[in-house]
Amino acid sequence: MKYVFLGSLICLLCLSLVAWVIRPAALQEGKTALVWVCDDNPVRREQVDLFNQLNPDLHLLLDPNNADMQKVIVQSIAGVGPDLFSSYDGIQLSAYVNSGIAWDVTEKLAQSGIDVENDLWRAADPTFIYEGRVYGFPANVAVNAIWFNKDIFDDNKIPYPEGELTWEQLIDLAGKLTIFEKDGRIRHFGLLFDFAWVQQFIKLWGADIYTRDGARCTLDSPEAIAAVQFMHDLIYKYKVAPSPVQESAMATQGGWGTGVITWFGGSRGAMAMGGRWWLCLLRKYEKLRLGAFAVPHGPARKYLSYGKSVLVNKFSPRRDQAFRFLTYMFDKPYNDLVNHQADALAPVKKYCYTQEYLHDPEYPQEDFNAVWRDVMNYGEPEWVSPYVSGSVVYRILTIQLDQVKADQKSAEEAMKAAARLINEEILKNLEQNPSLRESYRKLPGKEKR
Amino acid sequence: MRIRKGNRDTREFFTALGFLMPNFLGFAVFGAGPVLFSLVVSFSNWNLQHTVPFRWTVLDNYIMMMKDKAFWMYFFNTVYFMLGMPVAIAGSLLLAILLSQKLRGVIVYRTLFYLPCITSGVALMILWKALYNPDFGPINTIMNWALAKLGINHLLILLGGKAVSAPQWLLSTKNLLAMSVEEIKMTLGQWGLGARDALIFMGIWVAIGGNNMILYIAALSNVPQELYEAAEIDGAGKWAIFKNVTWPQLAPTTFFIVVMSFIGGLQGGFEQARVMTGGGPAGTTTTLTYYIYVKAFEEFQIGYASAMSWILFMIIFAVTLVNWKFGARELNY
Repeated sequence: MKYVFLGSLICLLCLSLVAWVIRPAALQEGKTALVWVCDDNPVRREQVDLFNQLNPDLHLLLDPNNADMQKVIVQSIAGVGPDLFSSYDGIQLSAYVNSGIAWDVTEKLAQSGIDVENDLWRAADPTFIYEGRVYGFPANVAVNAIWFNKDIFDDNKIPYPEGELTWEQLIDLAGKLTIFEKDGRIRHFGLLFDFAWVQQFIKLWGADIYTRDGARCTLDSPEAIAAVQFMHDLIYKYKVAPSPVQESAMATQGGWGTGVITWFGGSRGAMAMGGRWWLCLLRKYEKLRLGAFAVPHGPARKYLSYGKSVLVNKFSPRRDQAFRFLTYMFDKPYNDLVNHQADALAPVKKYCYTQEYLHDPEYPQEDFNAVWRDVMNYGEPEWVSPYVSGSVVYRILTIQLDQVKADQKSAEEAMKAAARLINEEILKNLEQNPSLRESYRKLPGKEKR
Repeated sequence: MRIRKGNRDTREFFTALGFLMPNFLGFAVFGAGPVLFSLVVSFSNWNLQHTVPFRWTVLDNYIMMMKDKAFWMYFFNTVYFMLGMPVAIAGSLLLAILLSQKLRGVIVYRTLFYLPCITSGVALMILWKALYNPDFGPINTIMNWALAKLGINHLLILLGGKAVSAPQWLLSTKNLLAMSVEEIKMTLGQWGLGARDALIFMGIWVAIGGNNMILYIAALSNVPQELYEAAEIDGAGKWAIFKNVTWPQLAPTTFFIVVMSFIGGLQGGFEQARVMTGGGPAGTTTTLTYYIYVKAFEEFQIGYASAMSWILFMIIFAVTLVNWKFGARELNY
C-alpha cells in the first residue's frame, strides 16, 4: 500500500511541476490587472490585445467562465466581481442596475468629450442606458438584413436580388429556392430565420411589445398578431422556412434550438435573416460566396436594432482604470478593428462611413457592407418595461411561441395569452412593490391600463 | 501515572471534537446554514434586484405559490416523469436476476449495464438527443421502416383509421396521458408520444442498469441458499420460488429503492431540462427543480424560489413518511 501512496505523491508532484512550467506569465511590475467577463472568441481576444497594446500600464484579461449574469451579480455584490462585464440586452441591464453593481458613468463620459446622444448608433441604448442614466458604452451594434448564397442562386439560374424587395417578391423567390431531394430530404430552404427573433417581425409590422411607458404589454395588438402569424405562415403556408421537425433534421444533434448560422453556412438555406456579425463565422466557410440586401419592411419601415455594451463594476477597486476601456471603445482603433473583424458594426457612427468599412482590402469580395449601415438608420432598439422582469417575459413568450412554431396554437391565441400573462405579472409586481406602484401612479394616464 | 477518569473523559471528548470539528463546521457552514437561511428567506420577498425593497412577507410566497398555475403545471410534469419508476424498478430486478446467474463473463455484463451510471450525464443526454432526432434518429428510422414494411398504416386505413407517423419526440408537446400544454386537463388532440415521454424512456434506460440493479444483485446474493433448497424439495416451481422466497427476501431492498426513487424523482428533471430541452417545448419538460432554478437565478426571486424549495422538501418528506407507514408494514425480514 505504501508504494501506492508514494506513487500517487510522485504523480502529484509531477503534475504540479507541469502546472508550474505552463503557468501564465506573471504581471509585469507597475501594471494593473483588469478582468472583463465576456464571451470568449478570437475576435474578443484581438480587441483585448489592442487595448493592452494601447494602454501599457494596464493588463486586461478575458474571463469567459463567469459571464453568466447571475454569477456577475452575485460575485460583484460579494466584492469579488470582475472590473468589466458585458450587457447583452435591456433585460440584463435592468438586472445589473437594479442589483446596484453597474456604475453610473453619465458625467464621466461627458467629461471625456463623448456625446452619447449624437456620436453613437442608437441600437445598443437599452443595453447601457437605463432611465436616462448611462451605465456603460456599446461594444458593437447590429441590425439584421437578408444574406444570400450566390452559389445556390447560380445553380438554380436565378438572378441575384437587387434593390428593395417586397415580402411577396421575397416569398416568391424563397419558394423557387426551397428544394427537396428525390428521397424527400431537404436540399435547401429558401429562407432561414430564427423564430425566437419575434421582436424583429413585430417591429417590421409596426408594433411593440409594450406601450411606450412600459406599463402594458401590447403583444395582443392586431399588428403584433399579424407579425407572428406571418412568421408561422413562412413555415406552414408558404413552406419556405423549416418547421421544428425539419430544423431538427438539419441539425447535427437534433432537438430543441440549434443554429441558423450553421445551416446557412452549410448551404441549407438560400437566404437567411441575420446580422453582419454572422461574417465572423461565415468567413470560415471558404467557398461560400455571399450577398446581402435589406429585409423587406412591413407596414412600418422600422427594423429591430440591437447591440452589446460593456459596463463597469461599481464595487471594483480599479473602476477608474476600467473606465478607460470605455473610452478606448470610443476611439478609432477599436472601431476600425470591430468593422474589420465584422463583429457587427462599430458603435461610433462616423467610423461606418469610411472607405475602409465599405471595402476592406483584406476581404475584397465583401461588397455588401453598405446594406447594414443603411438599414441601421431605420433601426429601433427594443426597450424593456420597468414593471416586469424581462426573464419572466421571455419565459412566458417562449412557451407561447413554441406552440405557434409547432403549429399547435394560432398566433392570435398565443399572443393574446402572452399579453394577458405578462400584464398579470405587471399587476402582481405593482401589488408587491410600493416604489414601482408609485412610479406607475405618476405615469400620464393615456397609456395605462 | 494514573489519569483520573474525569480528566480522561474530558480529554477524549475534546480529541473527538477536534476530529469531528472540520466535518461539522463544513456541514454547518455549507449545509445546515444555507438550508436554514433559505427557510428564513422564504418568508421574505428577497430579490437580487435592489429596486425591490426588502420586506417580510410572512406566508405571502406560500399563498402565491398555491395560486401560481405554473407551479402546479411543473409539479404535474415532475409527477409525470415519475410514471416510469415502476418499470425502471421492475427492469432493474429482472436484470439483477439475470446477472446473478452463473454465466460466463457475468462481470463484463454487469459492468456494461452499469456504464450509464458512470458516464457523464451530459454526454448521455446528447446521445439521446441524436437518438430522438425525428427524421434521422435511429429510433424513428426503425419506426418508419416498421410502419412501411409491416403495412401498419395500410391496415389502419383499411380499418377506417388514419395513418400514423413516427413521433416528433423532443419537439412535441404530445403525451401519453393527453395532457394539455398550459393546464392540468386532458385534451384529446394532445395524445401521442412527445418530449415528456421521451425523457421518461431515457430515464428508464438509465435507471434499469444503475444503482438499483447493483442493490438487487447484492440483495440476491444474500438470500440464504437453504431457502431455495427447501422450496425445491417441497416441489416449488420457478415462479413459486420467486414469489415466495426471492421477492419477500428482497422486500427491504425494494422498499429502500422505492423510497429513494420517490425522492430522486421529485428532485429530478433539472439536467434533462437544462441540457436537452431548455424546459420546452412550451414548458412541457420543466420540472419543479428547474422552475426553482429559473425563479431564483434567472428571475432573481430568491424568496419565492426558497419557498418553493421548502414546499418541495415537505412533499418529499410527506411521501417518504407515507412510504414508511405503509411500506414498512409489509416488511417481514
